[in-house]
Amino acid sequence: MNSELKRWKTGSVVVTSTLRLVKASPAVWAIVTLIVIFSALVPDKFLSISNLVAILKNFAVTSMLAIGPTFVILLGSIDVSFIGIWMFGGALVWLLYPYLGLASIVIYPVFGLLVGLFNGVVHVKAKVPSFILTIAVTAIFAYLTTYVRNISGLLTLTVPAYDFLLESPIPYIPSSFLLALPLIVLALFIMFFTKLGTYFCAIGSNEEGAKLAGINVEKYKILAFMLSGLLVGLGSIAIFIHLGCRARVDFDPSELVRGLAAIVLGGTPLAGGMGGPQRTLLGALVYVLIFNGLFLLPGVDPNLLKLYVGTLLLGAVVVASKALKGALIA
Amino acid sequence: MSVADPILEVKNVSKTFDRVVRALDNVSIVVRKNEIVSVVGENGAGKSTLMKILVGVYQPDSGEMYHLGRRVPFPKDPLDALSRGISIVYQERGVIPHLKVYQFLFLGLEEKFTRLGRLQLGRIISLAKSVFEELGLKCNLASSMYELPPSTQKMVEIARAILSVRLMVGMDGGSEITPVIILDEPTAPLSIEERDELFNYLLNLKKSNSFIFVSHIIPEVMKFSDRIYVLRDGRVVAQHDLSSEKITEDQIFREIVGRESYYDLWTRYVSGVSAVEGGRVVLSVRNLTKKGYFENISFDLHEGECIGLFGPAGCGKSEIAKALYGEIAADAGRILVDGREVKLRSEPYVRVKLGIGYFSGETGRELFFFWPIRKNVSIVNFDKVAKKLLKMIPVISFNAEKSLTEKIMKKLRIRAPSTETECYSLSGGNKQKVSIGRWLEKGPKILILEDPTIGIDVGAREEVYEVLLEMKRSGIAMILVSDDPKEYAILCDKIISIKNGIIQTTYTNEEFRRLMEL
Repeated sequence: MNSELKRWKTGSVVVTSTLRLVKASPAVWAIVTLIVIFSALVPDKFLSISNLVAILKNFAVTSMLAIGPTFVILLGSIDVSFIGIWMFGGALVWLLYPYLGLASIVIYPVFGLLVGLFNGVVHVKAKVPSFILTIAVTAIFAYLTTYVRNISGLLTLTVPAYDFLLESPIPYIPSSFLLALPLIVLALFIMFFTKLGTYFCAIGSNEEGAKLAGINVEKYKILAFMLSGLLVGLGSIAIFIHLGCRARVDFDPSELVRGLAAIVLGGTPLAGGMGGPQRTLLGALVYVLIFNGLFLLPGVDPNLLKLYVGTLLLGAVVVASKALKGALIA
Repeated sequence: MSVADPILEVKNVSKTFDRVVRALDNVSIVVRKNEIVSVVGENGAGKSTLMKILVGVYQPDSGEMYHLGRRVPFPKDPLDALSRGISIVYQERGVIPHLKVYQFLFLGLEEKFTRLGRLQLGRIISLAKSVFEELGLKCNLASSMYELPPSTQKMVEIARAILSVRLMVGMDGGSEITPVIILDEPTAPLSIEERDELFNYLLNLKKSNSFIFVSHIIPEVMKFSDRIYVLRDGRVVAQHDLSSEKITEDQIFREIVGRESYYDLWTRYVSGVSAVEGGRVVLSVRNLTKKGYFENISFDLHEGECIGLFGPAGCGKSEIAKALYGEIAADAGRILVDGREVKLRSEPYVRVKLGIGYFSGETGRELFFFWPIRKNVSIVNFDKVAKKLLKMIPVISFNAEKSLTEKIMKKLRIRAPSTETECYSLSGGNKQKVSIGRWLEKGPKILILEDPTIGIDVGAREEVYEVLLEMKRSGIAMILVSDDPKEYAILCDKIISIKNGIIQTTYTNEEFRRLMEL
């Protein structure tokens, strides 16, 4: 009797907390709906093992681009330098491999951290708007990457020595996902169990209040940018492996949209103050499902896919921002 | 029309929220031509619900409305209310800082001044000029709103409310309908002098308008209203016609809270305040100066002592408090906390580390409204709620946060369903208590209080005083800046009077009370 009661209680706790999650994050609805729709329309393709693995891979890539900048968006600022870190970081790994060997991959997080530090200091001290600043940084590094590729005379900047990382020790679970996992855990830990998460939200929702509560606002703003750069740098390793140990050499604005879309779809408003990496993960899944499902649908021109996805995203963001009005911090 | 002709009347208005909370219960009020009617009551007494029904934001469950003696339906929305001559000026800033005065004045009314899609600026400005002249409002039409002093901003807001009624009703010169302007706590952001200025303005406007004045500051209500309605728990518990009745402030206080007023608390506590002799000096201020605000301010603050900085608004007292907390930087002088020098330009977080807590009286600035009480408490107490993981990484413990918050809520009697209640849903007094209480367990050495009871009702005020006195007894030193002499008498051991940024005299509590005839 007692144990039954206990089980019933645990059950109801699970149900209520799930309900709360769904209520707080409309992305959960979107994920369920998308899975149901695509499973109904193209069950054999959508639910095939190879497609599920592809979803997992793309989820890893999307979340690795978006999870770092989420912390900056919490502040109410924005950081789009993730493309620049991802691109030029890869070029640096390629450039330094002959000297550092396998250790050259470490250049990714170091580079990310330095870019984040630069962004943070310039944004906070020189009061440069973060969007302009970080997009300029991205432009510079994208250009430098192309420059390195051009003078190398190669088509791609590949470091085949890392190929062993492509092999996943667990069947069906791609190695890029395995590499992403610890970073996801780290981001969630920072959000929920350190003061950083709370401070970022505090600054984003009421900067003056944060200051009056005795928070060193400037310091934590710079830290958010550094954290963003570091996480993007580390995450870029997963993407680097995913692309076949290759640096990204072409600048594609849709990659920029991908990262920001994951954040906003997840339910972290660009105005900051609420949300966080937990929501970005959901948003990344929404994005990946839309892209993947549309690709599988018969009659959808793959050449126009990005256009469709862009349009869909626009609608989704409008809906999400409406649903989020009055939503609370998770 | 005789003076007593009612313009607006509501009868037996009731409103229930969520079928449970009875916000208004058979409320009837009348507004007559050319009078100022005050509606007073504690927070949650139903004042704002009633006002929102009058301007069409809420629909009542039952009740009747009469306009110029004719029965009319309740307004559907604010625009509908406007066309009946009712407009509201809200408490929170309705001002858009970067608009020019004339732009703000006609905001939302532009289409009446547009010909072929072009705004007729000339017409707008000349009308604005004549309106300002008529209302006796002196300010430069071309300056931006933020450049105006707060009282003038309020006056422009009121002028805008009157103007929109006139334009909506289509009056020329305005004799047919008297506009009814609702003023929701209009004096909240104003200093004492500015309040008088605003009231003189209102008394002038009374000749052609009627006002419903919502406030909890009893003295000013008594001074300027023709009639008063007292609301308590959604009912009109009393109404007074000040032209024919003689009534004291205390009486109204008693009607508002339905029990003793805080003046009684004051007499109860005031004898308990005694200067702490021989306590350690925790804060020394030496020749602190900020050009244009204050000059050569020096004093010592002891453990468990409360010093009041007293003086008229604009005397520099609030700037001194801000300079001590680090919100503004003083130019010269020294601040020593426990003998340690504090850099004049350092930010608030440096001062917090040294043991200074600050409360500005504006919970909207300090609290994170959409966060639970627990988070609002733990944000200043991370060292208390974090456990060391592997002896290095501080990890926040939910349970520690919760028990800390519960402790504070119990101590301060914060009335909320749980630690997870979001702060926006708390009453003004409880917000205030969270704001002060979060410093409590941090054990600050010094607490700087600016208007600690502004904007909260009499009942909550009493509790805030009790909390502060308890903190004081536990050894926390305080600096008080306020507008209410009685507040100084309740809390302070020593009162430093300041005029034009310069210290005049230092009084003991007793001398101060004698001086103020308290």
